[in-house]
Amino acid sequence: MDNEKDLISKLKSKDESALGLLYDKYSAALYGIIIRICKDEGLAENLLQDTFMTIWKKSDAYDDRKGRFYTWAYRIAKNKALNAIRKDKKLIQTEDLSVYKSKTEEQNIDIDHLKLKGAIKRLETHHQKAIELVYFNGLTHREANEEMGVPLGTFKSYIKQALKQLQELYIKVVTFIMILIEVIR
Amino acid sequence: MMEKTHIIEQGYLELYVLGELNESDTQQVEAALIAYPELKTMLDVIEANFEKLGFENAVEPRPSLKNELLNNLNNSKIKQLKHTSNKSNIKPLGIAASIAALLLVGSVYLFLQWNTSKEQLKLVEDQNRELNIKIDQLSKDFEESKALLSNINNPNTKKYVLLGNDLMPNAKVISYVNDEDKTVFINTTLLPELDEKQDYQMWADVNGEMINMGIIKTEEPLLAMNYIENSESLNITIEPAGGSDHPTVSNLITNIYIR
Repeated sequence: MDNEKDLISKLKSKDESALGLLYDKYSAALYGIIIRICKDEGLAENLLQDTFMTIWKKSDAYDDRKGRFYTWAYRIAKNKALNAIRKDKKLIQTEDLSVYKSKTEEQNIDIDHLKLKGAIKRLETHHQKAIELVYFNGLTHREANEEMGVPLGTFKSYIKQALKQLQELYIKVVTFIMILIEVIR
Repeated sequence: MMEKTHIIEQGYLELYVLGELNESDTQQVEAALIAYPELKTMLDVIEANFEKLGFENAVEPRPSLKNELLNNLNNSKIKQLKHTSNKSNIKPLGIAASIAALLLVGSVYLFLQWNTSKEQLKLVEDQNRELNIKIDQLSKDFEESKALLSNINNPNTKKYVLLGNDLMPNAKVISYVNDEDKTVFINTTLLPELDEKQDYQMWADVNGEMINMGIIKTEEPLLAMNYIENSESLNITIEPAGGSDHPTVSNLITNIYIR
């Protein structure tokens, strides 16, 4: 953590190597978010670059008392991706509705590649879906609860429960790894 | 500030992490996070879980993208530098140049105005000087005329009219003689013009001797001559230009006995 604090203070003082290291650490996670929202590799690459440019320029706006660096960067990436697809949709819709349809059908991306992995796979299906919609698809709670056809309150509890289960899973994983380390020793 | 339980129950922490809260809700949650450390601990857990989720589902971007980003960064830095240098130097320079240009134009205009005024002032001064000279001349003329008039009007002044003889029958000279004041004035308006080589000269006869009274300047209508005591007659001759010491008697054109 101290290492990360150093990195961020270097970033704030416009140290390019700090940006490079932060890119190494976070780019894949952020790219995972961006590409799942926009489902277009070329666009996602541009948006990832754009995200890091914003991180570079607006680094003064990040306050570690208000949350983790990753959370801050995630919000930037998500907003950029959402704005891009909204703009895209608007553009296509005003021109020709059929183009929009054909575009959504012909995503130039390997969908399997974007299937969720890890602890989320061990959640119940509706919990998985809830997390996927808000976290990886960038839907708001209101959009997502409509998508799933459940009341907003129910949807909120899905999110809470999902996070709680994830927490337990992660603790188990950590415990398992620690036991493993002890055994190896 | 929102109640702690309200924040927890309404799922505001999750919404905060996901960036779904509006500005005022965000500020309220942030205030609560500072006020309740346990809330901050809960937030940390949520953040950490979302982060792990993110890392588990990371997708590696194309490796060359990092270099492209760093190159873009340098390009944008150069642009920024250019931009700031434009801002910091050229714009103020432009403003300074504009002000200088305005000042220059203003100065030229004022200089031209000043020159025009100077010329006008000089003209007025010249005219004023000429007028003053004219006034001096006129007042001098007026004083002289007044003096002449009072002299002529003086009861002691005697008037003699000298008529031209056969040599110059059209000539006529009026002379005013005042023995009290000892002055002689003559009116020469009816004296014919002479050529440049000749002048009229006036003489007084005192005991048979002709005494010079002066050259008659015909351009002046009324002029003062030298008064000679005990003069018996007034005589006018035509003499070479500049006058003579003794009268050329053959050239006598008019004479009159006085007393």
